[in-house]
Amino acid sequence: MKKARNDQFFSNLEKFVNKVYPNQLQRQPYLSLKSWPSPRDEAWKFSRLGKLARKNILPLNLENQQDFSINKLIKDSISLVFVNGKFEKKLSDKLLSEIVIEEVQIEDFKEIINKFDNLSVKNHPTLNSTLSCSQKFFKIKFKNDIKFYKPIEIFNLGGSENTSIHPFIFIHLEKNADVQVFQHYSTYAGLLAPFEIINLSENSNLEIIKIYDDKINSHNLSLTLSVIKEEANLRSFALIKGGEFTRSEMHTLLEGEYSNADINGIYLSSGSQHHDLTSCVYHNVPNCKSSQIVKGVLGEESTAVFQGKVRVEKLAQKTEAKQMSRAIMLSDKAVSNSKPELEIYADDVICGHGATVGELDEDQIFYLSSRGISKQKAKVILIDAFLNEMISLSISDKFHDIIYNETKTKINKLLANEYE
Amino acid sequence: MPILKIKNAELSINNKKILKGLSLNVNEGETHAIMGPNGSGKSTLSYMLAGRDGYELDNGSISFDNTDLTQLSPDERSNLGLFLAFQYPVELPGVSSTNFLREIFNSRKKYLGENELSHLDFIKHLRKVAENLSIKDEMLKRYVNFGFSGGEKKRFEILQMALLNPKISVLDETDSGLDVDALKIVSEGVNNLKDKKNAVVVITHYQRLLDYIKPDIVHIMSDGKIIKSGDADLALYVEKNGYSEILNEKS
Repeated sequence: MKKARNDQFFSNLEKFVNKVYPNQLQRQPYLSLKSWPSPRDEAWKFSRLGKLARKNILPLNLENQQDFSINKLIKDSISLVFVNGKFEKKLSDKLLSEIVIEEVQIEDFKEIINKFDNLSVKNHPTLNSTLSCSQKFFKIKFKNDIKFYKPIEIFNLGGSENTSIHPFIFIHLEKNADVQVFQHYSTYAGLLAPFEIINLSENSNLEIIKIYDDKINSHNLSLTLSVIKEEANLRSFALIKGGEFTRSEMHTLLEGEYSNADINGIYLSSGSQHHDLTSCVYHNVPNCKSSQIVKGVLGEESTAVFQGKVRVEKLAQKTEAKQMSRAIMLSDKAVSNSKPELEIYADDVICGHGATVGELDEDQIFYLSSRGISKQKAKVILIDAFLNEMISLSISDKFHDIIYNETKTKINKLLANEYE
Repeated sequence: MPILKIKNAELSINNKKILKGLSLNVNEGETHAIMGPNGSGKSTLSYMLAGRDGYELDNGSISFDNTDLTQLSPDERSNLGLFLAFQYPVELPGVSSTNFLREIFNSRKKYLGENELSHLDFIKHLRKVAENLSIKDEMLKRYVNFGFSGGEKKRFEILQMALLNPKISVLDETDSGLDVDALKIVSEGVNNLKDKKNAVVVITHYQRLLDYIKPDIVHIMSDGKIIKSGDADLALYVEKNGYSEILNEKS
């Protein structure tokens, strides 16, 4: 097949939108982006999109014909299934009365997007492509005071090598709501561009666990914008293990006092995979806390990036922000980049950051081996320990084993390849 | 019956000869002590026996239980019944002590063709063994050696020894960093494990430990070789007169 030009996807997109949604003017402004970010763009320096630009991709507009079976991680969860970026009511569970799913228009959430007044958000290919061509914009609303003991599991499925899919979700928690959400990205899409908005009202609590496990030819450019009000709490955890290229980008705005955001994650990278955790936390008001803690294990020729930024406005005294990135390299051909940034304009804050990259500790491997444990098993034990620490720190106890098991097959694969 | 035979072992690290023709025979039921000044190669000897990477022989041979030890990896040596109590036990943050102990216990059982214990049975067994070494449950809930005091680390080594029930145990400076009470507990632990079928090699700077673990044979090591062997009195002699006289005698 002929290689695509750098702007091919965007001209495909424009044609598609003008044909399928000719009268929806709200989509038009997002067609102004005409090309992929270049490596000269600071936000994309370590995660280059050249290969994606050369793919000949068209937005997918087929009604789903296939049967999909979903594998819930939690037995009694409530599933919401998106196939090819479209909500599939038939495949999803029946909702309870405390949850409302409604179709909204861009006007209804534009104000939230406008709060993120920076170019890396405004020019983000996911924001622009998904707002211009997503079939519908869904809002999931959790009503006041609900304490939800059944987690929601959102599944993103479908796609094919030469198509892009564009799911959009707006998660809104009303006051005092307490909710747990799992997001599964398991598509075959050449490009998956999921755009999510999270709006947490006063004193609400959201734990969101994102599992990125797309098929090996996929590019996933996930973008999440979150706004957090007084005393609300966002606990976000990303597990990245799939795809050819996966970037999980989160912008989090703490705009109510005594609110908290944990934007943590683990990446497990093998083959020639590229994984990227990018997070910006904006402390706009005093007395808030945030953490951005990321751990990764890299094998073979994989590459990974952690870009963490904390911006503390002059007003935001008594901010506590921490940042940490640790990577274990199983191969000397793997590359890990870490770019921590602190931008602090207040004077009474506690901010810390650190980054380490290294191999597994030879002394520890020898100690375990000297107790009768094979070298390979010793490595499994040490990697498990490395990740378990992270999992216990980041997510609710009741999900530990589930997430731990999700790391297990990938770790075994990473070590098996090392020994081939 | 000989358990361990080291013959003319030569070993270098970074092209520097550390062991220069060391020979040692240990029989079933025996306790040996190896003493020597700093830099004589005592810890190198222990790493060589355990099979650490980079501690391969240049010349000579080691046989353990009639097997050529030099061809085996550290885990195979351990499974065969060789145990090294580390001078500096390694911290394993994130690895629970109890899970670690169960893993090593069952891997040895498996190797011996014996039944592995269920989680519950193992915990019962572990409690009993730990109690004898004054190790509290609380310590077993922590990560392996992580934040342990010097004494706790050494007791944890002996706990592993007790669970693995090795044929030969090499104790590398197990007395360092121990106060008298801890020294007693550790020594009692070692003595309780001693029988006619196994052997112990104690590597130490000081005679102090040998008041508690009585050696049958004492070796003086210097410059990569054993230069003198004798009975327990040799250790007392060294304690009183220092190493210099024996070293001078040789040169």
